Amino acid sequence: MPMAVSPERPRSGITKLTGGRVVRGSELVEEDVWISSVTGKILNSQEVFYEHHVVADDIVDLQGKILCPGFIDVQFNGGFGFDFSTIPQDMATYRKGVGRLNRQLVRTGVTSYLPTIPSQLPEVYHNALPFLGPSGKERNPWEGSESLGAHCEGPFISPTKNGIHSLAVLQAAGNGFQDFEACYGAENLRASDTSPPAVSMITAAPEVAGVFEAIKETTRRGIKFSIGHTESTFEEATDAIHAGATMITHLFNAMRPLHHRNPGVFGTLGEAEAKERPYFGIISDGIHLHPTTVKIAWNAHPDGFILVTDAMKTVGLPDGVYDWTNGDRFVKKGPLLTREGTGTIAGSSATLIECASNFWTWSHATIPEVLRSVTSTPAEMLGIAERKGTLNPNADADLLVLDAQELANGRRNFTVHQVYKFGSLVYDGSEGVKADV
Amino acid sequence: MRLIIRDDKAAASRHISDYIISRIKSFAPTPNKPFVLGLPTGSSPEGIYKNLVRAHKNGDISFKDVITFNMDEYVGIPRDHPESYHSFMYKHFFSHIDIDPANINILNGNAPDLEEECIAYEEKIKRAGGIELFLGGIGPDGHIAFNEPGSSLCSRTRIKTLAYDTILANSRFFGHDLNKVPKMALTVGVQTVMDAREVVIIITGAHKALALQKTIECGVNHMWTLSSLQMHPHAMIVVDEDATLELQVKTVKYFKSIEQVATSQGFGQFLPSAELTLKKRDSVLAQLDSPKSPTPKSFLMAPAPAAVAAAPTTPDLVPDSMQSRLPDSAVPVLGLGVTAKV
Repeated sequence: MPMAVSPERPRSGITKLTGGRVVRGSELVEEDVWISSVTGKILNSQEVFYEHHVVADDIVDLQGKILCPGFIDVQFNGGFGFDFSTIPQDMATYRKGVGRLNRQLVRTGVTSYLPTIPSQLPEVYHNALPFLGPSGKERNPWEGSESLGAHCEGPFISPTKNGIHSLAVLQAAGNGFQDFEACYGAENLRASDTSPPAVSMITAAPEVAGVFEAIKETTRRGIKFSIGHTESTFEEATDAIHAGATMITHLFNAMRPLHHRNPGVFGTLGEAEAKERPYFGIISDGIHLHPTTVKIAWNAHPDGFILVTDAMKTVGLPDGVYDWTNGDRFVKKGPLLTREGTGTIAGSSATLIECASNFWTWSHATIPEVLRSVTSTPAEMLGIAERKGTLNPNADADLLVLDAQELANGRRNFTVHQVYKFGSLVYDGSEGVKADV
Repeated sequence: MRLIIRDDKAAASRHISDYIISRIKSFAPTPNKPFVLGLPTGSSPEGIYKNLVRAHKNGDISFKDVITFNMDEYVGIPRDHPESYHSFMYKHFFSHIDIDPANINILNGNAPDLEEECIAYEEKIKRAGGIELFLGGIGPDGHIAFNEPGSSLCSRTRIKTLAYDTILANSRFFGHDLNKVPKMALTVGVQTVMDAREVVIIITGAHKALALQKTIECGVNHMWTLSSLQMHPHAMIVVDEDATLELQVKTVKYFKSIEQVATSQGFGQFLPSAELTLKKRDSVLAQLDSPKSPTPKSFLMAPAPAAVAAAPTTPDLVPDSMQSRLPDSAVPVLGLGVTAKV
């Protein structure tokens, strides 16, 4: 017969994930997802099949588990004992620390994130930021979680809404964007020919002198401006949004509360025009916000709702007292993290999957709605919805296989079963860790 | 023609999928002797595909050495458009089975030269050794593939303009925008289907009852293109009860009884493999062609007396009395039996 079947096919590097419930928009659908470990991307399987006559090397049966994009955490200060703000003597140690952190973080389901540095002296930014810029260029799955650029939270923030940020390092930006450059390092705010700026997002208080004027230049460079640690009124926040701010950093925390005659920053969620409504971070660790507050925020503007951890280096560490920067110390007790002596909440010790489980339990939102807040919504906010936070063809093949359980006591839990980074299985909860940590 | 009537669509689909599986199995395809299968799209065959996929997942059937040819495809919509027949086949069948993508043939509605594409398609079918089994559906107007009423019954793979009714009906799949609905399609011809060794058609639902009636109870007619199936040596139509609404009761009963008798005789209306038929044919031919044993000389001479003796002798007349023929209440049948024995 002339139309012979080729007996041996070369390996294609393609994995077909079948039998799972795939998050597509607001639905869970039963369909296959094809990924390539060669390109690190999700394939348009039908086109590959018909055009290139390629079949999958491996077929993975997900047995009804949930398949969703890898999680994105846009506010993550450190974890597993490593803190982005602590600068060692030798920056090689820092580089190694970041690498180790990335390989551990990916196991929690966070496949990309914004390494976050709270208010610090300029030296800290100058030293640290070159190591925290977008790291996915090599597309190496074994590097673990990928930085999407740094998030500088402060120091251009309100001294009265500093949270645990050291008052001594806070600044005003009298010279506008120039002061941003002086603080963070001009080269860290500039895109090169080949890569975007090392900094992806800046949190600042618009009412601090010079900050409002700097918003325009910040966003012009593709850096997201987030309103946070602020005494802003509703009007000031609205002006900042008109000037280009698109995000609110940990909504409700470190800002004026909602008052019925002065709705504050939260009030911007009530704008009628979608484009005037900002994205906002929510820490649903069970400590920072009351469950009802989380639900109110979600109901007010579900399209802008982004879960963040605001996690500190104590994530993944045992309870105890830990040193931090500027001579401060943390006390970790379960998920609760406070500054020693004051009792002020000092970021969280929760993982993003715990936050997602909490939100799922409290809100009874559908699974796709919950997962959206840690995948496609943060990707949209960052302007990278084409390649992250989605299972569409040509997006990066950063995927999670999740178990979703509803317990008898009403508790709802996600657990990370498997993690794929750039098309390769880097963590398998059923077989132990594949990635070398 | 075999007409198989089942209670509902699911049972009809089940019959066909079981049939296809057993046909492929008994064919025992290999890379050098693949099974060539013609395939349709549409809502009617969806259940059949579902069954085939399930059987494959259960390990009952492999499609590794199966070559497929699809009936038709729209012209001018992208291959990965959700309404394209490429997408349909991928979604419902190909992505779930172990078929080699190189063995899949679907007309390319975006080919630079559509006529060339059609000629090549016929040639590809020929080179694959012809289609062993063509599975098909039917439209309410009796069309097979895009061979709408009035299509030549001798037609081959070609470009067809869609009827306005079809375009209107299809607009629901294209956002109710007539401009987006394809106006043309590539389709195999009626003759392409008829050339298959076996044709299996599924017809379900009351809305197709008239088409079924025209197909099997009326004459061959180009206004009901599937009626050409009457000329096919190995055709099977599988229908549900609803589709028989327009048929005469006697037609329905006839085909039901045929199936019943066939089943009771252990003859499952199953098409024997071409190989087997060929072998039988060969041996018959061999017998016919073999030089006859030389005619015995004696035949040319006067008939041997022995031959006369071999002829049955007429029994002697045994006169019986009329009385013994009268019905006797004790042995009415016995008398008859005795007579018959004589």
